[in-house]
Amino acid sequence: MGTSDKKRRQTPDGSKRAVNVGAATGTNGTASLLDTARTVDLSTCSDSDDGDWQNTSSDSDDEYSSASFDDDESSGDEGEGTTEINEAILDYMGALEKEREDEERGDSLTGGGEESRSPRAVVESDSSEDEVPSRNTIGNVPLEWYKDENHIGYDLSGTKISRREKKDQLDSFLARSDNSKDWRKVYDEYNDEEVELTKEEIDMIKRIRDGRVPHAEVNPYEPYVDWFNWEDKGHPLSSAPEPKRRFIPSKWEAKKVVKLVRAIRNGWIKLDKPKEKPKYYLMWGDDLKTAEKTANGLAYIPAPRPKLPGHEESYNPPVEYIPTQEEVNSYALMYEEDRPKFIPKGFSSLRQVPAYSDFIKERFERCLDLYLCPRSRKKRINIDPESLVPKLPKPKDLQPFPTTCYLEFLGHAGPVCSIAVDPSGMWLASGSSDKTVRLWEVQTARCCRVWSMTGPVRHIAWNPRAGLGILAIALQQEILLLDAELGSNTEEVSQLLNINVSSATEHTGDGLLVNWLRHEKLQALQIKHSQEVVSVTWHHKGDYFTSVAPDDILGAVLVHQLSKQQTQNPFRKLQGRVVSVLFHPVRPFLFVATKMHVRVYNLAKQQLSKKLMTGLHEITSMAVHPKGDNMIIGSREGKLCWFDMDLSTKPYKTLKNHHEDIQAVAFHVTYPLFASCADDSTAHVFHGMVYNDLLQNPLIVPLKILHGHQKIDGQGILDCHFHSKQPWLFTAGADSIIKLFCN
Amino acid sequence: MEDAAEERQIQVRFVTKLPSELHVATTPFSLPAHLTRYGLSEVINALLGLDKPQPFDFLVDDELLRTSLEQLLLTNKLSAESILNVEYAYAVGPPKREKSREHKDWVSAATGSHARYIATGSYDTSIRIWGADGSVVQSLEGHGDAISSLEASRPTGDEMWVLISGSKDHTVRRWELSLTSSQEAVNTAVTLERPVKVLKGHTSAVQCVASNGSGTAVCSGSWDCSIKLWNISEDENGESLTVRSKKRKLDASAEAQELEVGTSITLEGHTQCVSAVSWGQRDSIVSASWDQSIRSWDVETNINTETLIGPKALHCLSVGGDNMALFAAGGADPILRIWDPRMPGTNTPIFQLSSHKAWITACKWHRHSRRHILSASHDGSVKLWDLRSKIPLQTIDAHKGKVLCADWWNGDSIVSGGTDNFLQVFSNLQLS
Repeated sequence: MGTSDKKRRQTPDGSKRAVNVGAATGTNGTASLLDTARTVDLSTCSDSDDGDWQNTSSDSDDEYSSASFDDDESSGDEGEGTTEINEAILDYMGALEKEREDEERGDSLTGGGEESRSPRAVVESDSSEDEVPSRNTIGNVPLEWYKDENHIGYDLSGTKISRREKKDQLDSFLARSDNSKDWRKVYDEYNDEEVELTKEEIDMIKRIRDGRVPHAEVNPYEPYVDWFNWEDKGHPLSSAPEPKRRFIPSKWEAKKVVKLVRAIRNGWIKLDKPKEKPKYYLMWGDDLKTAEKTANGLAYIPAPRPKLPGHEESYNPPVEYIPTQEEVNSYALMYEEDRPKFIPKGFSSLRQVPAYSDFIKERFERCLDLYLCPRSRKKRINIDPESLVPKLPKPKDLQPFPTTCYLEFLGHAGPVCSIAVDPSGMWLASGSSDKTVRLWEVQTARCCRVWSMTGPVRHIAWNPRAGLGILAIALQQEILLLDAELGSNTEEVSQLLNINVSSATEHTGDGLLVNWLRHEKLQALQIKHSQEVVSVTWHHKGDYFTSVAPDDILGAVLVHQLSKQQTQNPFRKLQGRVVSVLFHPVRPFLFVATKMHVRVYNLAKQQLSKKLMTGLHEITSMAVHPKGDNMIIGSREGKLCWFDMDLSTKPYKTLKNHHEDIQAVAFHVTYPLFASCADDSTAHVFHGMVYNDLLQNPLIVPLKILHGHQKIDGQGILDCHFHSKQPWLFTAGADSIIKLFCN
Repeated sequence: MEDAAEERQIQVRFVTKLPSELHVATTPFSLPAHLTRYGLSEVINALLGLDKPQPFDFLVDDELLRTSLEQLLLTNKLSAESILNVEYAYAVGPPKREKSREHKDWVSAATGSHARYIATGSYDTSIRIWGADGSVVQSLEGHGDAISSLEASRPTGDEMWVLISGSKDHTVRRWELSLTSSQEAVNTAVTLERPVKVLKGHTSAVQCVASNGSGTAVCSGSWDCSIKLWNISEDENGESLTVRSKKRKLDASAEAQELEVGTSITLEGHTQCVSAVSWGQRDSIVSASWDQSIRSWDVETNINTETLIGPKALHCLSVGGDNMALFAAGGADPILRIWDPRMPGTNTPIFQLSSHKAWITACKWHRHSRRHILSASHDGSVKLWDLRSKIPLQTIDAHKGKVLCADWWNGDSIVSGGTDNFLQVFSNLQLS
């Protein structure tokens, strides 16, 4: 056991102390010896305690849960420790006894053994063998425990040591007075015996009392013996004065130098050639040399270099660098941050340059910068930004498309709300809020006809049948079907536009939906609605047309048939406010745009076919690609959505091209072009190629932004239409001008 | 350096085709290199010692000199040491603006084929014959809509003048005018011969008409994308012997004296409005269309013999130039293009003359000169071009609005009509 070993080792320490003291105190050191034994016991106990505490603490550090178990162990240890201590004390006492016996024997045998013993004591004081073991073995216990007993303790074999018969006072006094040496006797209470001090011991006590060295043989004033070996030490140990030869040049060295000089002169010794400097070297080379890694393994980031001084920082810069007095004065008017930090100034010589006042400040700020700014390496992605841009063909290769305004159609007195191009491409009709509808010749921009209306015109559309020349006009609460007198088959037109009596009566019976009337003044057909009509669109065959009256809840979208002069209400109730309605150019579908969605109705099956999720806030306009599978939708926030209806009900592309509300969007019938116009008075022209191959997505390329219209009352371009055959774009502006942009 | 440039001399020899009194010595002159046309003209004037200074124009290698001599040498990579042959001729001076003739509406068509009279068509549906003094000699009414095109035959003799007019009322009319320039009637001697032939058959507005020189064959192009070839021949009695003739009741009133004539041949091929037709060499007609193509048709076989595709929609066409073979056409852009159909397999024009700022509405070759051509544009100007120069010889600000029609008149005058309701006449153009 480690702890017991430790204690065993410690016991001699204690005994050594005891010997020393014993040596010092002489014969009455028994009590003191006992005391030391007690102290040894205590110290060992405390030591063991310390050790245990340390153990437990370390244990508790290691495993806190087993603290109670450790406590039990330590208590066991303690028990073990006490037995050990007792053993040690017994050993010690035995040794003490033995020594005393030896001493007594020595006393008895040799009278002059003092000389031999004292050095032995000196030499062998470390050994515990010379301790005199006491007769009694009770240890360090209060002696009053045995006061009433007949024995004073136990000897080594365990038999009781019986108390001597105590003499009474008188006997002892008599004995003392009889024996002249009685004063030397000291009573040892522990061993219950009389110890007679020897003469030497009394002398020792006397010397102690006198304050001298206890042992007589010890001479404190012995002669000094210099045990130190002074030779072969590296430093001057002598204080002898420096010899003369140290101050005269060495003759030998002189001889050596003379030899070397002669050898050099005679060329026997070749001195090393001076190292040639490289002729060309990198002036700032060491600036770029940066250690790859620092000691702590981090990447080394060199501090950014301050700007090198230029010509203006010269002490005598050229005159053009020195600001004039006016310039210096103007600096005072500038903002603090705009003001130049350094004003160049010329000095005739470098001596006259004063101390730079901002030096400390600038150094400090530089240090602050270096210290406070975190420096980090930017990870640079090595991607050519050009490669991220989708590969689009150049607009130059996609000609023709409208670029330049060549014609202006002047004549309207108010914002032109709607325009429509005749299917032949010869005529342009325009409706304006100045209550007129005008007919223009495209080639010359001549206004050929003007029809006065009863209210502002909202929407206008040509009948798509070639040569018919019927214009549908939406204004206020009616639709007018007007003969523009362009067609060749005037009989058919007049027949179509005359009121059909039977249908008229039928519908007056129906009553509520619409009224088909004859407008005598304009020789037109008039369809009266109950609410304001905002748009009118034709079916591609020219017989059916729709009207949109968003305020009419029950009949927002009406489908009219021109030949039979009948009206149907296909939708009893529509969700949302209807913005625009379009016929599919080929198939029997109807697109109905409400505020946020576009619904596609199958007219043949009379059911909802699709619902397009635009994701826009407010739809303003839509247009269908002439093939019918794609459509574009313009919105109030300036976004344009392209829908590929074969692909998805979500937009194929959303373009945020306008800053303000898109007013109209348009497809070209033959060319792969589409356009949008908005209140920011620009029209954007795009290339929108739809491929017959279903696997290939439509190609959309922005081509041109057309400017030219002016913004009036927050409105820019109100309508745009492509020419039916040429790649030309008509734009109708709120500035009452219609412009024709040509390729 | 500037001194050195000034001192640089070029050896120039002057030649001319002018009469002999205007010849200068054929010995080479050493002239400063920085001289331009004006400087050379001064030199010639000084050499000739003319009392009244006369502007001259100069040609080097059949190119009109429009830069300094030095620049010419640089661009043509000619040697400065060799002698430069410079031909001089009279420069075309600015024309004299004659009295303008006012109409009631836009002037959309004008023809100056007669030496004494100008015929104009207007948007007010009437055709007017103007005398040289600026008065209306005759007014021809009858069309139901604006006149879009007018063509006149070259007068055969003095007595007959045939006018063909196309109108937006889908009809073409053929007017026969008898000119009696007798001694007793000096001023008004134009009378309309009855009946007027009305050529019906187009289903849309007629955009252009053309006739052969005598006016016996007429072709017309229309917005219905077709060209119709009308064959008009008359027997001695004045009876119509056309293919399909409907004779209306001859009423006493003059308006009723109209003869409806059916179509003879329809040439199909254009996909858009036929905007211009022109009678080319004898048996062919050339047509230009908004579908950007120029097509040649053989009249005998009625087939499309040749097609040129231009870059833009075309509005006007004129056949002329060298051997009456070049096509000049202008359209929906400011560039006047001239094609040579004899160059096979290419659609690139041989000349592209760009100086206008807006659409070109009319172009006409000079009737006799093979290099002069005029063009009219929406920008209000009429330009006179010489094919030997890329820069127009003259730019005439003819009208305030758009110019809709222009034609040569009498060989040295230009007539033009525009949207300011005026017919303008510019005379005294001396073309060499």
